[in-house]
Amino acid sequence: MKRLALLALLVPALAFADEPKPQAPVPAPKDAKPSVVERARLEIQPSGRSFKKIQIENPLGDVRVEGYDGTAIQIETRKQGPNEEAIDRLRVSLVPNPDGTVRMKTTADGGPESTPLARGSVRIDLIVRAPRDAHIEATSSSGQLEVSNMDAGGDLDSGSGKITVRNVAGELSTHSVSGPTSLTQVFGSVDAQIMSNDLALDSIGGERLIASVNQGKIEGRRVRSRNIELTTMHGNIVFEGEASLRGRFIISSLKGDIDVKLRRNGVMIVRARGSKVNLGSTAKAGPDGWVETQHGKLAANESPATVELRSREGTVDFSLVQW
Amino acid sequence: MTCDDVRPRLTAYLDGDLDPDRGTVVRGHLRTCDACRTIAEQESVLRDGLRDLPTVDAPSGMWANIQSQLAAAEITESRRPGWKRALARWTPMLPRFAMGGVLAAAAVGILWWRTHESVAVEPAPNKIVDVASPKIESSAPIAVAPKTGCNLDAPAGTDVTVDLAGEAARVTACYAQTAAELMTLARETRGTWTDEQRASFDVQVADLQKAVERAEDGRPRQRAWRAMNRYLQTTLTRDQVALASAVTP
Repeated sequence: MKRLALLALLVPALAFADEPKPQAPVPAPKDAKPSVVERARLEIQPSGRSFKKIQIENPLGDVRVEGYDGTAIQIETRKQGPNEEAIDRLRVSLVPNPDGTVRMKTTADGGPESTPLARGSVRIDLIVRAPRDAHIEATSSSGQLEVSNMDAGGDLDSGSGKITVRNVAGELSTHSVSGPTSLTQVFGSVDAQIMSNDLALDSIGGERLIASVNQGKIEGRRVRSRNIELTTMHGNIVFEGEASLRGRFIISSLKGDIDVKLRRNGVMIVRARGSKVNLGSTAKAGPDGWVETQHGKLAANESPATVELRSREGTVDFSLVQW
Repeated sequence: MTCDDVRPRLTAYLDGDLDPDRGTVVRGHLRTCDACRTIAEQESVLRDGLRDLPTVDAPSGMWANIQSQLAAAEITESRRPGWKRALARWTPMLPRFAMGGVLAAAAVGILWWRTHESVAVEPAPNKIVDVASPKIESSAPIAVAPKTGCNLDAPAGTDVTVDLAGEAARVTACYAQTAAELMTLARETRGTWTDEQRASFDVQVADLQKAVERAEDGRPRQRAWRAMNRYLQTTLTRDQVALASAVTP
């Protein structure tokens, strides 16, 4: 932390000072307050060891991380504020460590008490081009958090900003309090958790997909993860995917409806509970309240894929999608 | 600073535990010293390797069992006479003495005798450490964080610096509030559970609450609350199945 503070003072001065300050007024509506924008670019080269992990903490704006085939990290910052004094309070610190970790953090220095600066009046946006094989740990607050084209997964944390992930391999973990989350083309285990907003999944593959949403819905398309656990408390779950051989699906909701469409690659046993359950014409209701159906004939020593669907107060619909 | 000065500090340096001045000095030395840099890189690779090891989830009841066994063992131990405890401490060493030969055994014995002769050993008081598993009272109310209001925005007029300083606490409060809401739902539902399910639930929640209390402020505590929320969500939507299974990490 102390290193961070030290370098927070040094790095911006050294790294960004040589960049000319294009302080052009931002085109804005006539009734908008005038603002000042300052842009800077920086490239850091690995010193001996490649960058393995990039930690970004930007509570003041958007974060966009794009993977590319190079070895350097290219950073573009965009500071915006009502005047130069406000811009001067905005800081971007950059701490490269010998273990291959690079930390970036944005802060706002304290200013005169007589002129408090509202958080909404300033922002820092970061665009980072990073080596594909670096692991990304990024946090934002109300700003958007976008990660794309990375191969070593990530850990993304947002307050109310949207999380968008596209074309990422490796283990991915996302958390958001009230921002929507969209994961597309993720090839690796996924753990997504949202308190109050929606989760959209598209083209997900990997060993494990665990997602939970408290107030919001989950929509999944083209999901091929082997083990899947989706949970909502108050939102619907609409899911279309492919059941892996011996895969395990648990899709559950407290009050939301569940609609699942699956392709199968082997024998699949589906069981469901809900206020109203529709598993197709072959389904049978048991005395314990479960409705069950089996697709395909189970051979000796064969383990089926299992699908468990349950909604305490919502309906459950399941259909098999043929090849 | 020489290599001998730097090497003992490499671990602390890689952990980020050195103060800025020393960190700068170590970093400067690593830039110029191939040998030390190699050692630092090797240690870093080892740490990365350890970090990459897969996490193995312990069975849900394991800690409770371990704790109860530890507690039982300590209670038994505390009731034993002092001489028996001393004997028990040294009994495992006896085969080694035998294998090491009579001479080594005698030397160790003399050493032991001499050290115990010269130092007055105060018998340790029989201390019973309360590490028993949490008491399970199915009807006991489960304490959760009070409702704090989930508002990620600071009050209007707050300066940006103050706003940022308080943000982690506001996020944590949101997770805590969600947990409180889920716990309310769980209380409403628990009447339909069996005693065993209630007991299992209480143990899990107690463990997760301890994790929340132990976690540092900020992101670690948010992570702990998220684990609590995930468990509660899973339990509420899957009732008896989830109650019998381990918490999803």
